Amino acid sequence: MKSSSHNLIMSALSNGRRGERPPAGNPTSVVCHGLMDEAGVSFPAAHLDAKAMADLALAGHEILGFDTVMPEYSVQQEAAALGCAVDWGDRDRMPDNKDFPNEDFSPVQVPEDLLEKPSMKVVLEALSILRRHVGGRVAIIGKVMGPWTLSYHMAGTQNFLLQIGMGETEKIKSMLRQLMPVTIAFARAQFEAGADVVVMADHATGNLVGPYHYEELLLPIHQEITAQIEGPLILHVCGDCSDRLELFARSGVEAYHFEWQVDAREAVEKVGHLISLVGNINNPEVLFQGSPEDVYEQARYAVAAGVNIIGPECAIPLATPIENLKAIVEAVREGY
Amino acid sequence: MERILEKIKDIVVGGRFREIEAQLEEAIQGGVDLHSLINQAMIAAMDVVGDRFAKGKIFVPEMLVSAKTMEMGLEILQPLLKEDESLSRGSVLLCTVKGDVHDIGKNLVGMMLEGAGFRVTDLGVDQTVETVLEKIDEIRPDILGLSALLTTTMPEMQKVIEELNAHGLRDRVSVMIGGAPISAKFARHIGADAYGKDAAEAVAIARSLTASQ
Repeated sequence: MKSSSHNLIMSALSNGRRGERPPAGNPTSVVCHGLMDEAGVSFPAAHLDAKAMADLALAGHEILGFDTVMPEYSVQQEAAALGCAVDWGDRDRMPDNKDFPNEDFSPVQVPEDLLEKPSMKVVLEALSILRRHVGGRVAIIGKVMGPWTLSYHMAGTQNFLLQIGMGETEKIKSMLRQLMPVTIAFARAQFEAGADVVVMADHATGNLVGPYHYEELLLPIHQEITAQIEGPLILHVCGDCSDRLELFARSGVEAYHFEWQVDAREAVEKVGHLISLVGNINNPEVLFQGSPEDVYEQARYAVAAGVNIIGPECAIPLATPIENLKAIVEAVREGY
Repeated sequence: MERILEKIKDIVVGGRFREIEAQLEEAIQGGVDLHSLINQAMIAAMDVVGDRFAKGKIFVPEMLVSAKTMEMGLEILQPLLKEDESLSRGSVLLCTVKGDVHDIGKNLVGMMLEGAGFRVTDLGVDQTVETVLEKIDEIRPDILGLSALLTTTMPEMQKVIEELNAHGLRDRVSVMIGGAPISAKFARHIGADAYGKDAAEAVAIARSLTASQ
């Protein structure tokens, strides 16, 4: 196998042949102030303009040296298309929802021209630009929100979780079912636009809900979603999910992107034979507040544990020092 | 009486919000002492909830619905207390710091503190240092609780403490902090009095901070 960035990532996603070294990948954002400055592109332009989006994604490969490019930095693209008011933030602040249109669990209105909405179209266009620039050389990652995360946006996180506690299971399932087609349509369109792999972020996180909630309410939906999307998918769920790794492995995704709170060795031991693993450098203490040496050490730990693709555990803090991100790349270039 | 207190406690622990009103009415009519209802049923229940959450036996949905049940109960009981019988264990001013709009963790801390008998003023999310100082001056809380979910907003906590020092308010209020990226080390580093990893720990800390005052 030729050890190009593209090949290393694609092979790692199926736990396949190892090239010269493990790949460095970022299913979630690696944008920090340093990268914005070097790329000459800043937020919020990079959430709203396809060229700015693609340029910043390319910087992740060209300046940092990651083997992937991923052009979607917010988690609000679908929410905006579904009618949420979104504050797109600024250089120092990630976007956020300003309202929850389905707080009362009224039927979700999915627009017929969903993929034509500006916040969706911009991602598809950015993926096409990336395809033209680095297609076949660097792995292009798309990103969609799963129906659980979309429910947080449409109904409000606390409200959604309270309804679960109140035993309103049918309400919850109905909202997830109404939002599932959004995830499927956007993922398929991203593959058509040029993505090699798509991340599905669905925050049934360890800090919020239990494995039993995931198993009852979300796992069947994930299984349906993965059955309807042909291309490879990476599931992203933050928090300590040590107690539900086996459930994620049954969801039908190719890989799981996980946090430092889940020990890399434990994750590989539990599910490494079933799905590939991506992660899991600690953001707050190591990438943000640590030194390049700390980052290097964690990355090497992940490599030694058998994590298939090495990268930050989640979207990185904007003030992360750029040297710390480069230390991940340095660590994978050491080889296995 | 023990049996009915135990029953009410179970209703709150189990988040059976539909049953709380009728059960409390029955207890009140049966002459059960209000303080026993609050201390041995409601507060005791939220201690169990906090403990189960900390041990990973239950998660946020269950905790939210227990808190809702407790709130419904307190709404019935509080008006019955005479003014001088206020059960407040102390007062807490809570907020999520500037630049951060995440509030579930903070809300859970607020609910648990109320459940434990504290008087809580919740300023909400994205609060500037200036507003926090103004409110401290106005309310004079025993404890200030600061929350942040984002690593980018952690430094705001330090700013609040620096400004408290600069305005001579630091000695008047204990500061406890929490949130996903926060650690005990960070709390020590910025000069906070305590760090709580979850809502149950926040209650334990608030109890110890007010006990030592």
